[in-house]
Amino acid sequence: MNVLTVTLNPALDREIVVENFKINEFHRVKNPSYSVMDPGGKGINVSVILSGLGVRNVAMGFLGGYIGKVVEERMRLISDLITTGFVHVEEETRENIAIVDPLGETITEINSSGPLIKPDDLRMFIRRFEVALSRVKHVVVSGSIPRGVDNEICKTLCRKVTDSGKISFAEGIGPAFEMAVEAGVITVARPDLRSRKLIFGETMVELEDYVRAAKKIIESGSRLAILSYAIEGDVIATRDGIWLFKTKGHIDRSHLLGTGDAFMAGVVHSMIENENDCFLAAKRGMAAAVAEAEYISKELISLEDIEEHLDSFDIRELE
Amino acid sequence: MKVKEAMIRDVSAIFEDETIEDFIVFCLRQNKSGLPVVDEEYKVVGFLSESDVIKSALPSYFSLLQSASFIPDTQQFVIRLGKIKDDHVSQHMVKPPVLIKPDDTVIYAADLLIKNGLKIMPVVDDEGKLMGIVNRIYLIHVATQGKINR
Repeated sequence: MNVLTVTLNPALDREIVVENFKINEFHRVKNPSYSVMDPGGKGINVSVILSGLGVRNVAMGFLGGYIGKVVEERMRLISDLITTGFVHVEEETRENIAIVDPLGETITEINSSGPLIKPDDLRMFIRRFEVALSRVKHVVVSGSIPRGVDNEICKTLCRKVTDSGKISFAEGIGPAFEMAVEAGVITVARPDLRSRKLIFGETMVELEDYVRAAKKIIESGSRLAILSYAIEGDVIATRDGIWLFKTKGHIDRSHLLGTGDAFMAGVVHSMIENENDCFLAAKRGMAAAVAEAEYISKELISLEDIEEHLDSFDIRELE
Repeated sequence: MKVKEAMIRDVSAIFEDETIEDFIVFCLRQNKSGLPVVDEEYKVVGFLSESDVIKSALPSYFSLLQSASFIPDTQQFVIRLGKIKDDHVSQHMVKPPVLIKPDDTVIYAADLLIKNGLKIMPVVDDEGKLMGIVNRIYLIHVATQGKINR
């Protein structure tokens, strides 16, 4: 086993295609393929993409109720390279429902909040995490923090990883993520800027704002910082410099689903092969993200896809 | 067919020093009838099933009887269950556990399950660390599909 991914607040992502969707009316889904469900949550997504790249991994976190069982079962069906090791809690795992109307060109989304994690559940998870840690070299901690869990959790988990001489990868937003960055316990940090471009109390607008944030992440102790900039770019910082990666072709906003997770999976895969070359890891992560952007929904990219897209973006040195 | 083609890659387990009550909650939430018991290195050191818990809560002479209908007083069972709920799992688990490796054949796994009257069996690597489980219903499913001798 190479990699452990942690998803503290997984989800069942359900997409239902309904033509001419209107509220307060009865609709029938015309085709079974118009109603799909996938395991979701950032760490789980990374697990799934890594399995497509041939990396055996174990996915941990919290699942609950019937929906939690569906998430677990679906993960196993995707690949036998994924091992599950979730702590099951009392309340139901959340569901993210998207009703897509291709004719009306609307997407209506309903996201539930997820289960409450009780202190006993957290204690049991941390113990299992510590034991599982001894079996892997790379740990990905990604996604939101569920109810009942303190913001310290990201820092606590990543510290255990780095203290044992292993590599931590984290993606998140808000105080939990920032606390872990400032503690210098994240080896590869990728702020999740999808919902808001806010980090360390500053809203990022111009390129220099992103550069300043990337610098701060590296100065705090990370070896690689990745900040999504506009739709087609990423600001990359290592201890050797700062670069802007920008795709050569146009990427439609509707194709962004899963690209961030593909980026992280590409970075993890590269660092398994070549632990010390963070710049190469960023390049392979970017190639994975561009490859993923060719699909409208979440698809499994291959190693060949990464190789093919290594020249699909320009690299400009910023500092 | 090898066990690695038929196993469920799930490493849910209980630690030796967790309690019988923890075990019951785990099984209820995961809809399982038993769990591998592991040490701090994830080595499988035992197995605990709901049957083992029932046996532990019954009077000692129960093993001599053929049917639960001989239990004179169900209340006695409930009282004993209350007494063992805070016990460590290690006090009631079956050890050494019956284990199988991923490269063993499914036929061999089925043989072990049947001969030992088990529903679930842990799959371990060469160091004895938990990799997943095989369960009886899945092996029956594989057998009905004619894949077991493949």
